[in-house]
Amino acid sequence: MKSGVLFVNRLGEILLFLGEVLKTLWKRPCKLELVLEQVWHVTIQSFPTTAMAGFFVGGIMTVQFAMLVSEFGASAYLGGLATSATIREIGPMLIAFMLSGKVGAFTSAELGTMKVTEQIDAIRCLGADPIQEIILPRFLGIIISSFFLLTGGLMLSVIGGSTLGILFAGINPQEYVRHIPTILGFPSLMSGLVKCMSYALVLATICTFMGYFTTGGAKGVGRSVVNTSVLTMVTIVVFDWGTSFLGQLLMSWFAVG
Amino acid sequence: MSIKTVSANPFSALGHFLIVSFKDIRSFSQLVGATLVQLFAHLPRKKETFQQLYFVANGSLWTIAFCVTFASIVTILESSFHMKIVIQNDSMVPGFASVLILRELGSVVTALLLTSRVGAGMAAEIGSMKVTEQIDALKMLGINPVRFLVVPRLIASTIGCVILSIIANMVCILAAMIVADQFLGYSIGLFLTAMRRFVDFQDIIFASIKAFCFGIVIPLMSCYFGFNCKSGADGVGRATTQSVVFASVAIIVLDFILSYTFSYFY
Repeated sequence: MKSGVLFVNRLGEILLFLGEVLKTLWKRPCKLELVLEQVWHVTIQSFPTTAMAGFFVGGIMTVQFAMLVSEFGASAYLGGLATSATIREIGPMLIAFMLSGKVGAFTSAELGTMKVTEQIDAIRCLGADPIQEIILPRFLGIIISSFFLLTGGLMLSVIGGSTLGILFAGINPQEYVRHIPTILGFPSLMSGLVKCMSYALVLATICTFMGYFTTGGAKGVGRSVVNTSVLTMVTIVVFDWGTSFLGQLLMSWFAVG
Repeated sequence: MSIKTVSANPFSALGHFLIVSFKDIRSFSQLVGATLVQLFAHLPRKKETFQQLYFVANGSLWTIAFCVTFASIVTILESSFHMKIVIQNDSMVPGFASVLILRELGSVVTALLLTSRVGAGMAAEIGSMKVTEQIDALKMLGINPVRFLVVPRLIASTIGCVILSIIANMVCILAAMIVADQFLGYSIGLFLTAMRRFVDFQDIIFASIKAFCFGIVIPLMSCYFGFNCKSGADGVGRATTQSVVFASVAIIVLDFILSYTFSYFY
């Protein structure tokens, strides 16, 4: 009962914070240079990690599907199946897990240190709005750059998958790529991209929220870092289910109509 | 990471990168060696080990069960979608989904969640001990910090990860079964029969071996970055972030290697 109340309380706090940030974006947008600076920082920091994760996720899915598919003699479909499964579901989720550890933890540690050392109060004292000056550039920067990072990771997963197709299943790259368009239709691609977009939104909201409301000194910073990555992962899994469900609902409507 | 400190000359940058990574690898393997020696040289500290086991296993149980449930629901719905495209019916879905859950999803998602919760916690704890000079104090008192701090965490995390991955696999299969029964029209008996055809006992053994390896990697990474923490609150935050990132990448690479190796045993 108590934990339920705490959960609803936390959810409300996050939604109010998100509303505040969006209102600031609408009324008093920050400078474009600040956003671009954040995009550059986040992308340059996390691109190697994301690329590596994407490559290996593609490879793992190919190995697993190769074992299953070869039982049915349908090796021609290996590339299509592995790519579709990676792009629709596993890829965005695992790469977003990685980003929550990298970008989310870093941003909430940075903001939390600012909060604990009273730099945010200093900004408010100087008559500036901390949400406009500090939170908003990071929020937008993380959304933009993690969307592109996730998409880049998915592209590399195709390369990883075809590499493992050569090494493990003995399928040449042309054969691997040939059936991707037949299985991975436009709706599947859109579903993958919508997932990337929603994970980017979740990541940006939670890490800025957790960093902005850190209390309790250096120990509090550590606590908010851990909470950020756990909460982001839980929310990403829930959103994964939600977007899949929504996608299937939309597809069934369009198929009927 | 350290792009700003390196000069623009690409050869110099490459050399700097090689030297730094060589030093990192050397000190990491020193830590691993010291941990192995201390693991077998003395009996582990019982009380600390049990406390850590409680923190690892009991503390993460509900989070992991919750996440894994949703992940398995998505897996079975998506694999039904794919099956309908390729072979026009989805009669193989229960078998495929249970194989996928047991071989990949259960242990990897569990390990990634444990990394972000337990690994980050351990790195933050040991990092702040390092920053407040408690580890130097331990050395002054003649206590080996590896035996005192790393070994209990290693044992607890390994046991905890294996147990949690078994529980996660059970929860996953149960959730997939319920979804298949309610939404896809496979009764529970049909699901179990299909699972029996596709899944061998060795799948469960391999899943546990995977979880065992992941459980070893997490505390070693966290303790390494905690011990090498730079001073200040900023340093603890960076140590935590780095430990989570490196442990996650290590888990994905290790999972790839283990999957590749096990594929020769089927």
